[in-house]
Amino acid sequence: MKRFAIALVLLLGGTSAYTQELYVATEPASNMPQNALGIRLTQEAVFSNGYRAKIIPEAMIGLSKNLMIHQSIFLNNMQQSGFKANGGAFYAKYRFLSIDSTHSHFRGAVYAGYAAVNGVINAREISLDGDNTGWQGGVVFTQLLHKLALSGSLSYTKALNNKKGNLLPADFGSESLGYTLSSGLLVYPKTYRNYRQTNVNVYLEFLGKSNLGKNEHVLDAAPALQFIINSNFRIDVSQRVQLWSSMTRNQKNLLLLRLEYNLFNVL
Amino acid sequence: MHHIYLHLLSKIMKKRTYLGLLLALLLNSLYTQAQVSKAEMQVSGLTCSMCQLATQKAVKTLDFVADIQPDLNSANFVITFKKDKIVNPDLLAKKVKGAGFSISKLVLTYTFANLKIANGTSFTYGAAQFSFLNVAAKTLDGATKITVLDKDFVSAGTYKQLASKGGESYRTGKMGNTRNYHIGL
Repeated sequence: MKRFAIALVLLLGGTSAYTQELYVATEPASNMPQNALGIRLTQEAVFSNGYRAKIIPEAMIGLSKNLMIHQSIFLNNMQQSGFKANGGAFYAKYRFLSIDSTHSHFRGAVYAGYAAVNGVINAREISLDGDNTGWQGGVVFTQLLHKLALSGSLSYTKALNNKKGNLLPADFGSESLGYTLSSGLLVYPKTYRNYRQTNVNVYLEFLGKSNLGKNEHVLDAAPALQFIINSNFRIDVSQRVQLWSSMTRNQKNLLLLRLEYNLFNVL
Repeated sequence: MHHIYLHLLSKIMKKRTYLGLLLALLLNSLYTQAQVSKAEMQVSGLTCSMCQLATQKAVKTLDFVADIQPDLNSANFVITFKKDKIVNPDLLAKKVKGAGFSISKLVLTYTFANLKIANGTSFTYGAAQFSFLNVAAKTLDGATKITVLDKDFVSAGTYKQLASKGGESYRTGKMGNTRNYHIGL
């Protein structure tokens, strides 16, 4: 036991004190820098019934040191052949807690989002990621422990009728609770020499949802691999694995590919 | 030279005339040129090279910063200042906060001209006053490292500790309406 404890300390306390909290499936409680602009292009694909995918261009802005916003557009080929825009989403996050010490920190943030989508609602899983119109509010805390970055969130989502007369079926749940637990680890480089060195990060996230009053639940594991090039360009790859589900869904076992480019001091 | 200048400055300030103020500002800008040449800054909460690059780029936008070099493994930066500009530590802290982090240590290299100091000795630099805290009596001459001890320049724990013992000017960071930094050696 003592040997295990020593091994754990050595592992966590390794040569580099850096950890990563640039999670792929969730947002950390940390914000992007003030006056920074991030551009993202995400593809979320499922292959269970041919190639069905969403393509999501997204802009992210650090308005102040505590407030950031995202604006995204959804394109998909799920309800027709070829990609077509079927909605968009707005997201804002406010950091209300920040406790720093050298190489570690604890952060807390609240967030809210709204999505408006056109398509037919055919899955009981409520997702503001291009499937449902609705709003969401949540809270997230992120803690760095040596080389490990841990983050947990709790959210409430209210689904509304989709646009263009696509109603939320009466027997579908309209409220869901979401909970996530994310961990991230920097695996390369062990020692920084310059900003051009590519960083390699690995993540493991757990994403759960429950439809309120419906006894419908879902739990995904989302392992991810991330490359940060030149300290401003990010490539994410993540294959989600459904661990448990008792509801119909569009997101089952999706493969995520994302490119993100960050510009600092542009606003 | 320095105490004569301070004496002159305080006399002019006492008159509280526009002309006096103008003269004081002029004298001040002449005297204080290139007194702060360099800073070593430690930033807390940095966790990735992307965060560190963002911090560096934010600080670089300040007009008195000539150059900023990171030490990627230690979260320290070495900042070189422009010779003809007044360095404003508060603006440094603001930029670091804007990037999402905070300064945990700021050591400035200040060029003194035979200044006799003891606990509480003050001197003027730019529009701000700098007061020595917890120092032994000695004479400072030439390039000397001084550490800023105020809120936003030390860790939260250090600030709490100093504030519990410090006076009104330490807690508010002000002397009247003038910004009052507290420094150690």
